[in-house]
Amino acid sequence: MAFDPQREDYQRLGLRYARHIDATNPADATRAFATFGRRFARERDSLPQSDGDRAFHLVAMASKLIDYELPFVSDEEAENLIVRGHQLLDEALSLDGRCYDALRMKAAADNPSFEAFYTYLTDCAEEVRRICEERRASALATEPSDERKQLAADIAMRPFLRWLATLAEQALICGRNREALRHARAALEVDLRDGADVRFTAALAYAKLEDEQGLDELLSGALAKRCTRPSNDAWAQIARVAMAHKRYDLRAASEQLGELMRLYPHAPETLIRQIELPDGVFARLAVRPYSEDELVLAVSEATVLLQEGREPEGRGVLGVWVQREAARALTPAVLQTLVAQAQMASRDADASGGTSTPKESGDSQ
Amino acid sequence: MRAREEFVQRLSIKRARKLGSLSKEAFAELELAVRNDPISFVDDVEEEAFGIVASALAHYEESLHDDDLLDDDQYVEARAQRLGLIGNACEQALDLDPHCADASLLRLLAADYAPDELAGLLLELGEILEGEFGPLERGATGDAWADVFVRPRLRVKAALARTCLDTARFAMTRQACEELLSLAPIDALGARLTYALTLARLEDEDGFEWLDAREGRKGNAWFHLSRALLMYKLGRMPAARRALKGYDRLCEGGAYILLQPVYVDTYMPDRPEFEPGTFMEAMLAAHEAEPIVADTPDFVGWASEQPGFFDSAVAYCRRNGLEWRDPEVGM
Repeated sequence: MAFDPQREDYQRLGLRYARHIDATNPADATRAFATFGRRFARERDSLPQSDGDRAFHLVAMASKLIDYELPFVSDEEAENLIVRGHQLLDEALSLDGRCYDALRMKAAADNPSFEAFYTYLTDCAEEVRRICEERRASALATEPSDERKQLAADIAMRPFLRWLATLAEQALICGRNREALRHARAALEVDLRDGADVRFTAALAYAKLEDEQGLDELLSGALAKRCTRPSNDAWAQIARVAMAHKRYDLRAASEQLGELMRLYPHAPETLIRQIELPDGVFARLAVRPYSEDELVLAVSEATVLLQEGREPEGRGVLGVWVQREAARALTPAVLQTLVAQAQMASRDADASGGTSTPKESGDSQ
Repeated sequence: MRAREEFVQRLSIKRARKLGSLSKEAFAELELAVRNDPISFVDDVEEEAFGIVASALAHYEESLHDDDLLDDDQYVEARAQRLGLIGNACEQALDLDPHCADASLLRLLAADYAPDELAGLLLELGEILEGEFGPLERGATGDAWADVFVRPRLRVKAALARTCLDTARFAMTRQACEELLSLAPIDALGARLTYALTLARLEDEDGFEWLDAREGRKGNAWFHLSRALLMYKLGRMPAARRALKGYDRLCEGGAYILLQPVYVDTYMPDRPEFEPGTFMEAMLAAHEAEPIVADTPDFVGWASEQPGFFDSAVAYCRRNGLEWRDPEVGM
């Protein structure tokens, strides 16, 4: 599961509350804890919290607006949401200048190019590590039980994990695949169980580098054994499809794609649409494993694989092949509806002046 | 491809074999006679087929000279027409000699397949030729290119290497280039150029350094551009800046063509000849690098922001009376 900002907000206040009631007698503590959920939902301000907790709550609210609501609203509403989201982030930073999630989310919007954002993330990474490690050390020193130590330490490191996961993702988009792997490895050193799911990004980077051995090790080595999910997530499957297609082993590519379509609902439609979404600014969106949404996210992140190469219509060599294969899995009627929708969408895009992505602009064929 | 020259060599060698051992002088005499009237030396269907291809290619190359005068629609029509002519000539040649590798290759190229489809067809062609003639070998001289009868198969492999690059199959490109460099180390077909771009895309620094050293670090548009891309991708920005500067300084029109890419037609069947250090060199390198540049989305933007690079591109454009297609620049 990716990072869910609402859940993390709850965990932070839960920990703080637990610390607060440590001082009270056991009977009061039990009663106090029973009321926590209700107070969190309805009277949040009545709960003890630090400026850091308040800042994170604002981050969670901004994330809800920008990552989870923005994609579904009209253009006018979008403008308001973005303004509101930025106000929340500014407010978060006025409470906690070292709220690295807020800093990172603001930088994503403030830096016009992938390159500029990437440079910013690289330049600050060491500072973020240092501060998060200090917070972790303090959590380990002050929390009384192992369970709470563990949770507090995890929470302390998450901003750094998200920083590294964003770096890996941005590196992948920038065509810096070895850098993407380096950042992913750094994240895995911090979190052996890969709570940030950086291995998904790493799978795509290995496929970009056509590193069969590296991909095998990632998908079936020690990391895979530590993770609770088997290595048949959409990112791993797309990486396998790409590798086989790159070897010109089209039968194997078809088999791997077939497996992907068996694992995810409505996969052919998603694989034909290949919608490119903006990345979650807080973190990769938290969606249910093997859901349609998860495949949408993976396909969007796999744009770097799907859209590469010379292809007469500018959609990318693998992208077109995947569309064709996926279309074979659909009935003619469903396919026709999809084609009509796609044509309408492309007419709309043309009418609004088109939105060419940086990937398309360099390719004149 | 110097088709006519190869045709003369093929015919001379075949006739010399028939005549038995010829002195160097006698062979030169024979070659001169063949050059004056190749057709009269054609003794078999293989050469008849090759002659048809060579003559079709000569017509094709001549017809390219008039392109500058055409508008877009006329160009599309003229292109279709001349590719059609090549295709027909290849059919004719293949009727005579079904194993004429150049005819098979050119027929595929002239049919204007999407690169992905072409990759599959070229792989298949390579396999058919290997089945017919056995595996490619270096030969007695240590360089397969020295045998004029082997060259067509090397061209098929070089075309496969470029098509694999175009279809984002870089491990396959690497393999084809390595085979070509091993079979024909002198590398008349310039597999090293395709290889350099591929190593940059695969972010293989050791491989690239090895290849650059193999070339005596002489550099050219492909190598300079590849190094800049490689260092950029590895996040080594000072080295990337130095490499980009080298590319700008040492490649005629290099900055201009990176910022203002132009359409380059299908290679028929291999990379057009160019004088080292000319604009043509930079143009071909930038064209071949396009899929890799596009895969590194901020590279061109970054390059144009480096001190002097954009100015150099604009200056080259002005000096040569070229067109600048970005209206925002307000040239």
